[in-house]
Amino acid sequence: MNTLLELSGVSVSFDGFRAINNLSFQIGEPELRAIIGPNGAGKTTFMDIITGKTRPDAGRVIFGEKSVSLLKMSESQIARSGIGRKFQKPTVFEAQTVRENLAMALSNPRGPFDVLIYRKTPTGAARIEEIADEIGLSDHLTRRSGELSHGQKQWLEIGMLLAQDPRLLLVDEPAAGMTPAEREHTTDLLKRAAQTRAVVVVEHDMEFVRRLDCKVTVLHEGSVLAEGSLDHVTKNKDVIDVYLGR
Amino acid sequence: MTQGFLSKNPSVLWFLLVLGLFTLGVTVLSETAGVGLISTSFVKTLGKTLCLCLIAIAMDVVWGYCGILSLGHFAFFGIGGYAIGMWLMYARTEIIVIKSLNAAAIPPTPEEITDAVGQQIFGVVGSTDFPWLWAFSDSLFLQLLMVVLVPGLLALVFGWLAFRSRVTGVYLSILTQAMTLALALYLFQNDSGLRGNNGLSGLQNIPGFERTPQAVISLGFFWASALALALGYVLFAWVVSGKMGSVIRGIRDNESRVRFLGYHVETYKLFVFTLTAVISGIAGALYYPQAGIINPAEVAPIASIYLAVWVAIGGRGRLYGAVLGAAVVSLMSSWFTGGGAPNIPLGFYTIQWTDWWLVLLGFSFVAVTLFFPKGIGGLFDIIVRKGDQK
Repeated sequence: MNTLLELSGVSVSFDGFRAINNLSFQIGEPELRAIIGPNGAGKTTFMDIITGKTRPDAGRVIFGEKSVSLLKMSESQIARSGIGRKFQKPTVFEAQTVRENLAMALSNPRGPFDVLIYRKTPTGAARIEEIADEIGLSDHLTRRSGELSHGQKQWLEIGMLLAQDPRLLLVDEPAAGMTPAEREHTTDLLKRAAQTRAVVVVEHDMEFVRRLDCKVTVLHEGSVLAEGSLDHVTKNKDVIDVYLGR
Repeated sequence: MTQGFLSKNPSVLWFLLVLGLFTLGVTVLSETAGVGLISTSFVKTLGKTLCLCLIAIAMDVVWGYCGILSLGHFAFFGIGGYAIGMWLMYARTEIIVIKSLNAAAIPPTPEEITDAVGQQIFGVVGSTDFPWLWAFSDSLFLQLLMVVLVPGLLALVFGWLAFRSRVTGVYLSILTQAMTLALALYLFQNDSGLRGNNGLSGLQNIPGFERTPQAVISLGFFWASALALALGYVLFAWVVSGKMGSVIRGIRDNESRVRFLGYHVETYKLFVFTLTAVISGIAGALYYPQAGIINPAEVAPIASIYLAVWVAIGGRGRLYGAVLGAAVVSLMSSWFTGGGAPNIPLGFYTIQWTDWWLVLLGFSFVAVTLFFPKGIGGLFDIIVRKGDQK
């Protein structure tokens, strides 16, 4: 297992508040990793830094075999180099059909003129069918995604990430607001995705994290508090104090 | 592209059919064809309206589809008008000057001709020299190039600066408004090189067609405007269909999602902004020879706000909606303000539409926004839905 993404000594402050404080983090490929931590621990900022939305004040963020730094790249460049992100709130293009949403995410050239002359291909259509099957939306391809249920929107967004064919998937609270059955489907989805790529899941729900059955990183006040199996970290005294004990 | 594209977008074919029939109908009823039910000045009004429909669909693409509420697209329209107006004015003045100088005993030198033309054009602002802006004004080809290049370049530079800094929403609207205001204020100056607030006039006289009656010229411009609208409609319908349409509507609805999918959002915005600016310039170049005069008031911010009102009333996010909005509102506007609408005496007060039209327009805008967010174009949805139920 090679290291795919490495953050070292990353710090960022907003108006004097240290959101991320000397954070170091590594993930390999393939790997499934859960990140937990109380509110304000810096989970979302952590994702913002990797995806280029926030620039850190200090530290390095390195991605891939060639160890390219992500700090100089724009959000879209980072996305094209193989990092997909799912937002906490399901964000799909509600005015468009499920198929259009997935087609937009397919890994094709992203320039305006490529897109202008883009024509549907049988391989593209097949890939869309495949992903729709994976996320359980095969029967909904022609529906406007705004009509989907909350859980289906979450899956569609995960499907869009899969269509991008990323090497690293960042998923923010995928199970929020889902029924138990939907949660189970989501767990399976993420586990399958993590067989071939790196997947980072930020989650509040312990039960969900337990079902993911993977290495866990606990964030607190912008740095890593503990890392290891869920059983290991839940026995850690610091973790109990700041997070679980409450 | 065309075959599959048109068959998948029947509304485009319907639009072209209606536009074709309309053009034919106006032609048959015009004075040129002998029937004379439609006066030459009304043919001009209709031709101008078609140009306004063209800029309205450009506005719909940039606002209704891409979500950039530009309140400055009339700047590009005005620049197109000025660009063609410079050639029209120069070429026509030159013809007149040569004719009068030839009557003199000694044939004039080229310098004398240039001086006399300069005197004629710029005497009104107290100057006789040609400003650098007029360097290409003797060439129709180059000025036509300017119609496309100047709005395109301005939009490219302005858009690049604005989008790169992630200026969005209402701030971008204010910025575009400032752009058109700055242009208007610049043009108002006498030493702007474009005759200050006199603007360019006599544009209805086309050099080389002195003997052609206005009835024929007006019909020619009417056809040209109809053709431009048809081509512009097909172009924009093609751009907003398929994957490009998906991406730009995505930008409208959730910019950061598009960005994290790996699309460089700024490039797309710049593409849409610049393309629509170029089409607006072309629309302006067809409009002002029919209007006969262009002056800086044309690019005042209010014009661009009207444009947004037309598109909102017509229905955002559908091209025929923008056409309907622009046509209905601008024709009603000329009917109400041109004294066509009868005043309403209330006994204690008489409603004079020249004063009250704007109030009526304001109320209609509010009513449409509140009760028919889909605009006039939304009526088609109701018709189509009823058709489906049968």
